[in-house]
Amino acid sequence: MVSKKVTVTNPEGLHMRPAGEFTKAMAPFASSVNIKFGGKDFNGKSIMNVLAAGIKCGSEIEIECDGADEQAALDKAIEIVSTAE
Amino acid sequence: MECEKSYKGIAGSDGIGIGRAALITEPKISYEQSSALTAEDETKRFDAAVEALIEKTNAMAEDMRKSVGEKEAEILMGHSLMLSDPAMTDEVRGIIAQGLTSEAAAEQVFETFAAMFEATGDELTMQRAADLRDVKTGIIKTLQGIEDVDIASLPKGSVIVVSDLTPSMTAGINKDNIEGIVTEMGGRTSHSAILARALEIPAVLSVEGVTAKIKSGVRLIVDGIRGEVIEDPTAEQQAEYAEQKADYAKRKKELEKLIGEPTVTADGDRVELVCNIGKPDDCAAVIEKDGEGVGLFRTEFLYMDSKQKPDEAEQFEAYKKAAMTLKNKPVIIRTLDVGGDKDIPYLGLEKEENPFMGFRAVRYCLKNEELYRDQLRALLRASAFGNIKIMIPLVTCVEEVRGVKAVIKDLMSELDREGTAYDKDIEVGVMVETPAAAAIADLLAEEADFFSIGTNDLTGYTMCADRGNANVAYLYSAFQPAVLRSIKRIIECGNKKGIPVGMCGEAAADPRLIPLLISFGLSEYSVSPTAVLATRAEIRKWTKAEADKVAEKVMKCAAESDVLAVLDENKK
Repeated sequence: MVSKKVTVTNPEGLHMRPAGEFTKAMAPFASSVNIKFGGKDFNGKSIMNVLAAGIKCGSEIEIECDGADEQAALDKAIEIVSTAE
Repeated sequence: MECEKSYKGIAGSDGIGIGRAALITEPKISYEQSSALTAEDETKRFDAAVEALIEKTNAMAEDMRKSVGEKEAEILMGHSLMLSDPAMTDEVRGIIAQGLTSEAAAEQVFETFAAMFEATGDELTMQRAADLRDVKTGIIKTLQGIEDVDIASLPKGSVIVVSDLTPSMTAGINKDNIEGIVTEMGGRTSHSAILARALEIPAVLSVEGVTAKIKSGVRLIVDGIRGEVIEDPTAEQQAEYAEQKADYAKRKKELEKLIGEPTVTADGDRVELVCNIGKPDDCAAVIEKDGEGVGLFRTEFLYMDSKQKPDEAEQFEAYKKAAMTLKNKPVIIRTLDVGGDKDIPYLGLEKEENPFMGFRAVRYCLKNEELYRDQLRALLRASAFGNIKIMIPLVTCVEEVRGVKAVIKDLMSELDREGTAYDKDIEVGVMVETPAAAAIADLLAEEADFFSIGTNDLTGYTMCADRGNANVAYLYSAFQPAVLRSIKRIIECGNKKGIPVGMCGEAAADPRLIPLLISFGLSEYSVSPTAVLATRAEIRKWTKAEADKVAEKVMKCAAESDVLAVLDENKK
């Protein structure tokens, strides 16, 4: 398993649109994607989980990927949440 | 029949609509809890319904993209993503395996997620619970073979009256046929409101119990500007509103031409036209209405909306969000203006005999330095992410400005030691809103990087009149010679020292005052987002020479009534 802590810099946080982008990008990976936020775990491939986390801009989250393509999945995840538009 | 009734609601989308009510009611849905099918067949039934609904939703999104816009289509694309959410389908299948119907399983799973959304306390996330329920209803209706209410076929001149306007309903709207929308639910930031605004259909939202009160076919006026619905209007009302509707349409068209145009006087002199906001989320409206930045960000909401003192991190997030949303446009943030009429329970402010002349704003903050340091540190840290300026409220003497600047200087060295980024040239300005500050404006100009005239308090304190007191409210007027002289003096003192002078009170958006402000040399106008374009239009009408002529006449007037008469005679 690989993991990394990252600050969400997207001004919209991980609300509807960015959450959709995130889960869509994570779907093709074989690895599981877990978001740790506020002491809870959220499935990073599930838009309903990501939305339920209520992650705002500036929040610090930890992303964990586990599986055959875990490093590639983690890199992609970090790229999406830390890209400010 | 003359028996008009009116209902109050939230103004969700500007404009006036006149038409006949089309009451939309959702069919009652009932279903069995336990499935008569095998788990395998029930799962197949669920999967087929989801697949059909995804296809339908995607098609609606495509229609919406063409007819309304990209942003609105994204709402429906979000629904499509929810339908293909693997975590959701796994949970539903698990419940089906226990012998329940697809409907009961969908109900359970979606309601669990909706409850999670609502528990976050985050407004945007809480609103998404409505999307979840919309999707859930969609699945259950698909499973039951219930057709959607056909909004697309409503005749011309219809006013939709509905409990809640869901995105899937809105997709079918033909905006040429719909005069207005009236709902029982939703606020200004709900989907209903966003979609109504995007479609440019007047809407009044959150009208209590309206679906039970209004019958289909009755004549309605939807006043989306004031947030009012009139049932069965009189002939006079209809004529009056028809005229308002035409005026509104004409004016709107003209103002919209000014989006992207510079805010300049008729001579081409540029001034800044920025906005007053209360929350970081308001920045979206600033951008939408073409505001050139923020001239007053009131920070009280951070303190009032919570049960305890917001910490530095929470404040930092809010300020940073505003700064980042507005890119490099200026964002003037006013430090905590507590006291007076703004009580914050957990701060334990003592009841005072005369709170407006008491322990408030910068006076309170300098005595409660720990609280103030949290806010100033958050502001400094956020300044690394945009163009933030700090504004001090209720200044009456230079010591207060020096005091705040000393705290800021100390915090800067603290941040330097930590290696935390901030804007080293951050501007610190004074909100000029007391007669004392006006009298020493020349001295304050030596200490401040900018001025912003707060006309609401300046008028009240100068005239010694509370506008909430009906017996003295007539004295509360920015057109009183005493107030006008103050404003003129403040602007002149600022200009003499070469610092920008803005105005962030309600008076800045009063078209009558604009020639005077141009003549005095005001460099920044801060108004509510909805007043940006009208203010820009007014500024563009005047040359400096014309404004000077009016100002010269006005400043010779001894009475407020004479001031108003001169301005009225010379208005454009």
